[in-house]
Amino acid sequence: MSVTAEGRPAKGAPLPFRIKVPRTRAVSLGLYVVRRVLWMVPVVFFVILITFVLMHLAPGSPWDRGGGRQLAPAVVANLNAKYGLDKPGWQQFLLYLWNAAHFDFGLSYQYEGKSVSYLILNGWPYTFTLGALAFLIVVPVGIGLGIVAALRQNTRVDYLTMGFATFGASFPNFVVGMLMIIVFGVVLYNVTGGNVYLPVTGFGLDDHLILPVVTLALLPTAYIARLTRASTLDTLRQEFVRTAWAKGLTERLVVIRHILRNSLIPVVTALGPTFAFLVTGSVIVETVFAIPGVGRAFVTAVESRDYPMILGTTILFSIVIAVANLVVDLLYVFIDPRVRLS
Amino acid sequence: MHRSMFDFRLGRVLALGAAIATVAAACGSSTTGTSSSLAPASQQILRINTGVEPNSYDPGQETYTYEAAVGRNVFEPLLKPKPDLSDVQGAAASSYDVSPDGLTYTFHLRKNAKWSDGKPVTAADFVYGWKRLLNPALAAGYVDPFFDTNIAGAANYANVDPKNASAIDAFLNGLGLSAPDPNTFVVKLQHPAAYFKWVATLWVGAPIRQDVVESAAGGPFPSTDATKAEAWANSPSTIIGNGPFKLSQIVPKDHVTLVPNANYWAGSPKIQQLIYYFIADGNTAFAKYRTGGLDILNVPVADVTVVRGDAKLSKQAKLLPELTAFWMAYNTQKAPLNNQDVRMALSKAIDRNQLTQNVLHGTDQPLESFIPKGMNGYDTSDTTQSFDVAAAKQLLQKSGVSTADLNKMTLLTRNTTGSKTINQFIVQQWNTNLGLNIQLNVIDSKTVTSMIRKGNFDIYGPDGWGADYPDPQDWFDIFQSGSCHALNWGCPTLPGYDALVQKADASQSNSARLADYATAQKQLIDTASVGFLYQQYEYDLIQPWVANLTITPIDDEYVPGDEHYQSAYITKH
Repeated sequence: MSVTAEGRPAKGAPLPFRIKVPRTRAVSLGLYVVRRVLWMVPVVFFVILITFVLMHLAPGSPWDRGGGRQLAPAVVANLNAKYGLDKPGWQQFLLYLWNAAHFDFGLSYQYEGKSVSYLILNGWPYTFTLGALAFLIVVPVGIGLGIVAALRQNTRVDYLTMGFATFGASFPNFVVGMLMIIVFGVVLYNVTGGNVYLPVTGFGLDDHLILPVVTLALLPTAYIARLTRASTLDTLRQEFVRTAWAKGLTERLVVIRHILRNSLIPVVTALGPTFAFLVTGSVIVETVFAIPGVGRAFVTAVESRDYPMILGTTILFSIVIAVANLVVDLLYVFIDPRVRLS
Repeated sequence: MHRSMFDFRLGRVLALGAAIATVAAACGSSTTGTSSSLAPASQQILRINTGVEPNSYDPGQETYTYEAAVGRNVFEPLLKPKPDLSDVQGAAASSYDVSPDGLTYTFHLRKNAKWSDGKPVTAADFVYGWKRLLNPALAAGYVDPFFDTNIAGAANYANVDPKNASAIDAFLNGLGLSAPDPNTFVVKLQHPAAYFKWVATLWVGAPIRQDVVESAAGGPFPSTDATKAEAWANSPSTIIGNGPFKLSQIVPKDHVTLVPNANYWAGSPKIQQLIYYFIADGNTAFAKYRTGGLDILNVPVADVTVVRGDAKLSKQAKLLPELTAFWMAYNTQKAPLNNQDVRMALSKAIDRNQLTQNVLHGTDQPLESFIPKGMNGYDTSDTTQSFDVAAAKQLLQKSGVSTADLNKMTLLTRNTTGSKTINQFIVQQWNTNLGLNIQLNVIDSKTVTSMIRKGNFDIYGPDGWGADYPDPQDWFDIFQSGSCHALNWGCPTLPGYDALVQKADASQSNSARLADYATAQKQLIDTASVGFLYQQYEYDLIQPWVANLTITPIDDEYVPGDEHYQSAYITKH
């Protein structure tokens, strides 16, 4: 639809199909979203282009074996023909673009006869569930701890929460995961004679979720807690906070309306990428807990030079990150009334 | 194989190797106890971790042992290795004859053999399965044993245009495969090949049902259409097999469940659920075993000492040989490793006992020769490559190569924990024992493969081989000159070797063959074509309630006993 600038009549006879849309806040927001979504098309195009060039530059072919006996040259030639790798590179690229525009992302080289879309759609629900649940822990716990630490700066509460945050940020996932498996799996199993213990592998909408979600949430929680604390401390020193206290407002009102809302802007900025990071899966958490998600898909695809799978996962990741950033930008509007989208 | 930061044991990267192998009765198979009473059917569940998901459930597309471990239980080839692994025995075929000229193999199929949907297994199913395997458009990875001058007409495989349906059909119809009656499958060979009976035990040579493939594809399709040809292999409902088990559930990246095939000719197995998990992290699998979630486990190298120190676990552990050999590949086409004395000096400067005891945790065993323990041709009498620092130094001096030139060499190393650990030890041995300063060159695995294929390295290792089948032919062909940069990377020049090995491959006399192979092995050792290192052993944990499991060195190391699950069962516990 075409839109005229508000309040200014178009010159000449009005076109019959011209629709006059009032420039309300909702409309400008909607237009902003549409524009941002359209911008994703060139973004994804360049992601595909760069990935395509880089992966073909990486030495080694998809048919090289990790060691030992290699495929016969005749078999390799047939595989190249089967997957179109006998065509020139630019033809392969254009063909991929054409197919991708029709939502056909090709067949995986690794998994015989399985499409990339099938492999991603099959694994992503697991990854997304874990990531979304972890995010639900990260937001309240991370922000909560950060605020408490800031409001009680240089007290025991502050040291305790920041101690936890330092621990969470510096312990690698695989160490935490393996420790939890040993403590809540093996040790608990041996102590209780196999009656009470947490399952150590696999996915299930039950106690299977506890260990991987906690492991996954630990690092981002620590990160968000530190960020919230720093930002809150900064806000506490602002003059409007002093004014609020001086007006005699209750602590509750000062904290929620004046401090929290202002100190959350940098935190929300960080939450977007954090969400994208969580729902695209962690290689380490998925490997340690044997989760059949897509977190490992990208790494194994790169290692085995599974070109369609590399492109498919890269496109997915780029879209998730773009969407997460868009949501963050929209959230600014609600948190900070000064922000105008254009 | 694609492995992430969690390293698999080295033998897992043996790719196509390590398939069918044999072992002499002396060190041979082991069977777990059979004394206790049978557990109820609801408890007849056997849970194993294969570590990796099969790339396909079409036996023709399965190239790794962990895939074969599933495939062999769903599809049954013509023959299988005897439990004592001395020879083959009937599987889908009850017997076979070889014509006097060694060119015609006639397989007599079992008349009572049925598919999991109840239809009889016929010779036409084998003709279809084997033609399918040899269809160039399907590009089956493990096809070489079938076209390598074996089946009449198959040598032309490389020249068929995979995009031309009529060329493919002409090639396939010209192959020496026929079914004169429903119970007789005849294979004509190009050349006599005494080892062909072992090729007939390979899981890729399974029968395939044409009607099932075509109905899953929505009707007949041209021979060029690989996508339609594979449609059936994606769903348990269309994966109709003739093995003791059938696929009941596939959970991608997590596990696959097999249940008994009630129509199996030898009777339905006692195990009611055979579950293969795909847990990539060995430590996680170990924790799952310890919390009662797995019945069989290949112990990760890092946990070997934990198992040995645990009173309960150490009783459940078994150490079994695998038909594997590992060595250092020397680039013999390039100075200074074109000098035999240099190669021998390096080979003699490695303390293999320290390597296997301290670096490999005492599970693997030193090997100074080519053929591993348990196979025909295993012979340790030639000690030319034995550890001897004084002799190594002398050889180095005799070679006349300067230390500066020697120090320019690097040891090409895959970026995996296993390879790095071993190679750090080896370089340290060379540098300490010979006063050299050789460096590691650590690079990601795929790049290493592309480098060694081009001969772009000085020393590469540990390289190795796992038996495809228990015949020395499978091993000695690696070092034929035609396999340079295809099966072996250092391309040693071995006068007379090719002719000797080819004669042995074709000979109908077992003793004459073994004598020729022994000569060839001596030549490999004495010329230091490669520096032999060690043989890999399986270190597995098996829960005490798993009974009547027959484990042989032909099994995948993660899936011990996989050839004989139809007789295994679970006892009350």
